[in-house]
Amino acid sequence: MTMVTLGNLSQAAALLAGFAAMILLLIGLMRNDLRFIEAGRRALFAVALFASMAAVALSRLFFTDAFQVEYVASYSDRALPLFYKATSFWAGQEGSLLFWGWVLSLYIALVAWNTRGELRRKNTPYIYLVLAGVVSFFFLLLTTVSSPFALLPYTPADGQGLNPMLQNPGMIFHPPTLFLGYIGFTIPFAYAIAAMISGRLDQDWLRKTRRWNVVSWIFLTIGIILGGQWAYVELGWGGFWAWDPVENASFIPWLISTAFIHTAIIQERRNVMKVWNMALIVLTFVACIFGTYLVRSGVLQSVHDFGATGLGGYFLFFMVIVSLASTLLIAESYSELRTKHSLESLLSRESTFLFNNVILLAIAFSTLFGTVFPLISEMVTGKKLTVGEPFFNQVNTPLFLILLAITGFCPLISWRKASADNLKKNFLLPFLLSLAGGAALAIAGVREFYPLAAFTLCLFVAATIIQEFVGGARARQRLTGESAITALLRVVWKLRRRYGGYVVHMGLVLMVIGITGSTAFKLEKEATLRMGEAMTIGDYRLEYTGFKTYKKRNRTVYAATIAVAKNGVPLGEMETERRYYINARQPTTEVSLRTTLKEDLYLTMPMIGRDKVITLKAAVNPLLFWGWLGGGLMVLGGVMAIIPSRRRRQAA
Amino acid sequence: MNIFPFRSPIPRIKMASGTDWRVLLACLVPLLPLLLPPSAQALTRSEVEKHLLCYACPGEPLSIDRCSGGDRMRAEIDRRLALGQDKETILAFFVQQFGEDILTTPPKKGFNLVAYAAPFVALVIGLAIAGLLVRRWAAAGSRRAEGKESGDASPPADYQRLQERVAKELDQLEEDS
Repeated sequence: MTMVTLGNLSQAAALLAGFAAMILLLIGLMRNDLRFIEAGRRALFAVALFASMAAVALSRLFFTDAFQVEYVASYSDRALPLFYKATSFWAGQEGSLLFWGWVLSLYIALVAWNTRGELRRKNTPYIYLVLAGVVSFFFLLLTTVSSPFALLPYTPADGQGLNPMLQNPGMIFHPPTLFLGYIGFTIPFAYAIAAMISGRLDQDWLRKTRRWNVVSWIFLTIGIILGGQWAYVELGWGGFWAWDPVENASFIPWLISTAFIHTAIIQERRNVMKVWNMALIVLTFVACIFGTYLVRSGVLQSVHDFGATGLGGYFLFFMVIVSLASTLLIAESYSELRTKHSLESLLSRESTFLFNNVILLAIAFSTLFGTVFPLISEMVTGKKLTVGEPFFNQVNTPLFLILLAITGFCPLISWRKASADNLKKNFLLPFLLSLAGGAALAIAGVREFYPLAAFTLCLFVAATIIQEFVGGARARQRLTGESAITALLRVVWKLRRRYGGYVVHMGLVLMVIGITGSTAFKLEKEATLRMGEAMTIGDYRLEYTGFKTYKKRNRTVYAATIAVAKNGVPLGEMETERRYYINARQPTTEVSLRTTLKEDLYLTMPMIGRDKVITLKAAVNPLLFWGWLGGGLMVLGGVMAIIPSRRRRQAA
Repeated sequence: MNIFPFRSPIPRIKMASGTDWRVLLACLVPLLPLLLPPSAQALTRSEVEKHLLCYACPGEPLSIDRCSGGDRMRAEIDRRLALGQDKETILAFFVQQFGEDILTTPPKKGFNLVAYAAPFVALVIGLAIAGLLVRRWAAAGSRRAEGKESGDASPPADYQRLQERVAKELDQLEEDS
């Protein structure tokens, strides 16, 4: 059997298994017969098995250069390194759709395995039913509209190759991690819907999906950061985030899920905000589907999208159905979800969490509104506008600053009721420190409002977090007599969920420092240089000292050597390239980067003229290293927050 | 020996709410450097570039684009920067040449104002709703606390109102009959 046949049959079998699971589960529910529900659960494993076979078949087709397959011919060629042949799997629309369906089927199998002893619970069959419905939708599209196994009428001698810009290590992990995040939110969504249908509206669904939520959030965070890193080192325009529609589509679910993770804590502790949390998880799931709709519909122009693939309508229909059904369910369950809220005080952590949600959702709304505004404008005025980076910076920067401030306030305000003593004890020192720091920065020359406000708030939030760590360690030290370091490590480990949250917040602080530094104080310069000539940027002197040409596997490389000196001190040489890939229509620029804790020196060569005259584009991006470090801390904090306790691990 | 005529250098003045004026002053003094003029920075090409799209590659920001059409636009920006023109003048030139579609940001006029206003309107509405909810929940909390303190001896206010209404309606019924 050829791999194409295997792939086609596997996809079809996965679809049939998905449908079978739905039918069996429905019969089981109608007859109240556990045997059918168990059969439905087993069918979910079959979906995962067949989806995995389809994935293996597609990978094999890439590795064997099977160019009679249209998808393989479009995204690979003979010269492509094996490494990138593996990543070509998700380089295009059809393959990424199969990747989505495959990962979702594996997630579902994991849920089916973990809930094997919970069949008698009222909500379990509904969880399976929702999951089977979603995975069947993806395999329906794969088998009927957009198959990666479609054949060309002829077999080309070679493929068209992978887009050179995708031939970067960042692209191995960026799309899959983003997908893992998007797909992961299907699980809490299914639990939420099942809770509403079955009427089991206690906190069970929330407790069971906490790890799914946080893990999906972690993957989404990694995906977004890697995307920024890839744009920075590969696209050569010197930035990392352009507020492109597809970038925004990944950011919106991240914001909503962040809001959800915060209010889920309140529901867990106080059994309130049930309606709100249901609405947030539905919104997160719909936002994830919206992301894939945007990439595959071609309604908005983006450097990342797949153009008009013919799938837009299906995803739009799916989104509408999910939104309507979920709204109806929330409305029907409203009286049961509604709880008598009461707070001991106007100022408490619960109330600040609510305000934090409002800010997060306001940023999500402004990002969504800006993204779709060209469509709205076209509908109203008949004119399709472009809404780009300056708009988003203008609208979202003040909102981000409010969010940053609230990030500092929230964790330090007591649960239930904040007293004047509590406020004074927790805030006085960070407040005075940040004011003094802000004043020092202003005297040092940072006088633009937004950068100054951002740095001052960063100082405030960082001081509040450090104070929490020091306070926790001291309290333990007093109790146990351990050394300061041991006490700190033990208290952080013991209360890792709480301190994980603080680490995430510290990551956010560093990220804001990196973003603010590298955007507000960025230096950029471009010059045309002959061999031996030099340009200056900031404290740097860049001298063009050499040029070489060589062939390497699937590309011809033109490389310029630049001798770098800072304040007259030689720092060594940097090499920036222009690459001409086989089968690529346009050359690509290869970034040369020198990173220090203080700043990045970023060089590209956008043009090569006659006699080896080059156009050198240089940028100095201050503090950006801290932004990437902050991203890493956010991920670390998320991981800390989901490490189970020893008792749970033993129970598992 | 106390060399100051007062016990402390600044007399302690209490505000009605109990806020210490010295704390307020301490907060305001560090903000004084903000009154200094911001450091002047020369306009760079990239600051102009990010407001423009490439005329030859529809939808592609000039800051990302590297085509020859984009190069011509960049050369024009450089020429105008060398003449000392400001950002608005340079952008106005490109709008005159290619229309408003060349901008990456919708001009702040007409229907476009909705794009700028909507996020903040949404924020204000969100904050107002959150504020109302928090107030209501806090009121419910204090009612509950009062109820607990008084040992729940008296019936809740709603119940009393209901009893009054029942009595009133019974009276009305008697009158009507």
